Amino acid sequence: MSVIFGLAAAVAVVAALGVVVAQRTLYSALALVANMVALAVLFLTLDAQFLAAVQIIVYAGAVMVLFVFIIALLSPGAQERLHPLEARVLIGGLAAVAFTVVVARLTLNGVSVAASGRFYGRLGPFAPVLVDRHGQVQTLGEQLFTTFLLPFELSSLLLLVAAVGAVYLSRRRRAS
Amino acid sequence: MGQAAVSVVTLAVVRAPVSLPLTLVVALVKGVLVVFALATAAAYLTLLERKIAARIQLRIGPNRVGPGGLLQPAADGVKLIFKEKAAPAGRDRVLFQIAPALAAGAALFAFATIPINRTICVGGHGGAGPLSVSCAGGYLLHWDLANVNIGLLYILAVTSMGVYAIFLGGWSSNSKYSLLGALRSSAQLISYEMAVSFAIVGPILLAGTLNLEQMVHQQQGLWFIFLQPLGFLLYFTAAFAETNRLPFDLPEAEGELGAGYHTEFAGMRFGLFFFAEYINMVTVCSIATVLFLGGWLAPVWFLPSWLGPIWFVAKAGLLLFVMMWVRWTFPRLRYDRLMQFGWKVLLPLGLANIVVTAVFVAVR
Repeated sequence: MSVIFGLAAAVAVVAALGVVVAQRTLYSALALVANMVALAVLFLTLDAQFLAAVQIIVYAGAVMVLFVFIIALLSPGAQERLHPLEARVLIGGLAAVAFTVVVARLTLNGVSVAASGRFYGRLGPFAPVLVDRHGQVQTLGEQLFTTFLLPFELSSLLLLVAAVGAVYLSRRRRAS
Repeated sequence: MGQAAVSVVTLAVVRAPVSLPLTLVVALVKGVLVVFALATAAAYLTLLERKIAARIQLRIGPNRVGPGGLLQPAADGVKLIFKEKAAPAGRDRVLFQIAPALAAGAALFAFATIPINRTICVGGHGGAGPLSVSCAGGYLLHWDLANVNIGLLYILAVTSMGVYAIFLGGWSSNSKYSLLGALRSSAQLISYEMAVSFAIVGPILLAGTLNLEQMVHQQQGLWFIFLQPLGFLLYFTAAFAETNRLPFDLPEAEGELGAGYHTEFAGMRFGLFFFAEYINMVTVCSIATVLFLGGWLAPVWFLPSWLGPIWFVAKAGLLLFVMMWVRWTFPRLRYDRLMQFGWKVLLPLGLANIVVTAVFVAVR
């Protein structure tokens, strides 16, 4: 278990570094794919199989395929080199530090929970006991269509708007 | 942790208290067996394909190597291994190496959750039926590598990785034919993945589960092909496009593109792409068998049900034969027609099928 966690975590970190460090844009995108697959493996070790499958289908399988497609065909920024003290690099660095603080706080929280063996607070709808009883997909589906119905429908509306917008943009260009 | 013993190597949640080493050994043995079986099946499917092609074209086909040509795949394999690995000069060296391996890997991985028989209890009482698993004092043997409750989604996820192999293979070759083949195949695979996803929602609605073994149990008595004839046709049609088979083999249309995305690959690098195509055929036919043809269930009630794997192989084999039959009978579609067919025919039909099935399930 921990061996697999270690391997997947190492791959995830190396791939994430690869996204930033790689000289060629296509390699960055492929490193991001590797990172997403490694994250899916981490989800599996947490017994979140549905999330793992969706992570691969949606992100690695659909979104990144389009990224790779566009990069390979148009190769944007192939000649562009980053200068280390550029404004966007500094802003990105600050954001990374802030994010690290948040993640570290959560991790320490998790460590203390694991050390004491107790979880203080309410068991959510995805508590392992409940998921084991009803099955993963069933639990998730039930929660999506009851507790989280409004956010779920709102996000589907957002996707619909994006799709309509894409159709509109492609239409207008053809007319002119 | 500690809620359920999870063995991640097999991607399966093991409910019975079984020691970890035993689980690992069983997973390893099953993995080796599946890879070996798939490799052999792929090799002999090439021979079968040539025999069927010869039959349809009133020829005899390969019959020189071994009795009746039975050793032809071995000869082909040896030839591929010893061939010069010619490669174009301007290639992307890393991706050119990785792409064939990725193709074969994605094809092999996809088979992990397909059950070829019902779960049986070795050395104890009990067994597995619909919605019940019991095995007192024995070992619960699953006939798939991973008995997960998202089996179908897992297959969709892994097969969607195959697009990378084809696209990167074509792109890294630095050749116009390869790039055109790769472009066509990416567009085609993404479009027809939608059709596949829509087609399999029908059986999912009927069975109420994504676990492939439970889906087969739900078909006891009546296979889903009788409840979902349109779904089956949609799935099987889209499967031709997913595996780049004629009449949808535009990514490798030899008449116009040389060999499409694998034009520049030689020797065993080409062999791996070829190998992946045949394994993908086995996989899509196995999925169709599980979803629509009742998996390992006996075709007629008076036939023995303990011959599960035989029935499974027979049904998948029948579908494989149809795939080959179609290849040597139908002409290739034009590319724009192919995309139109996918988006304007298969997709709306798939949606209609989902709506009708959902209403049927709701009022049932």
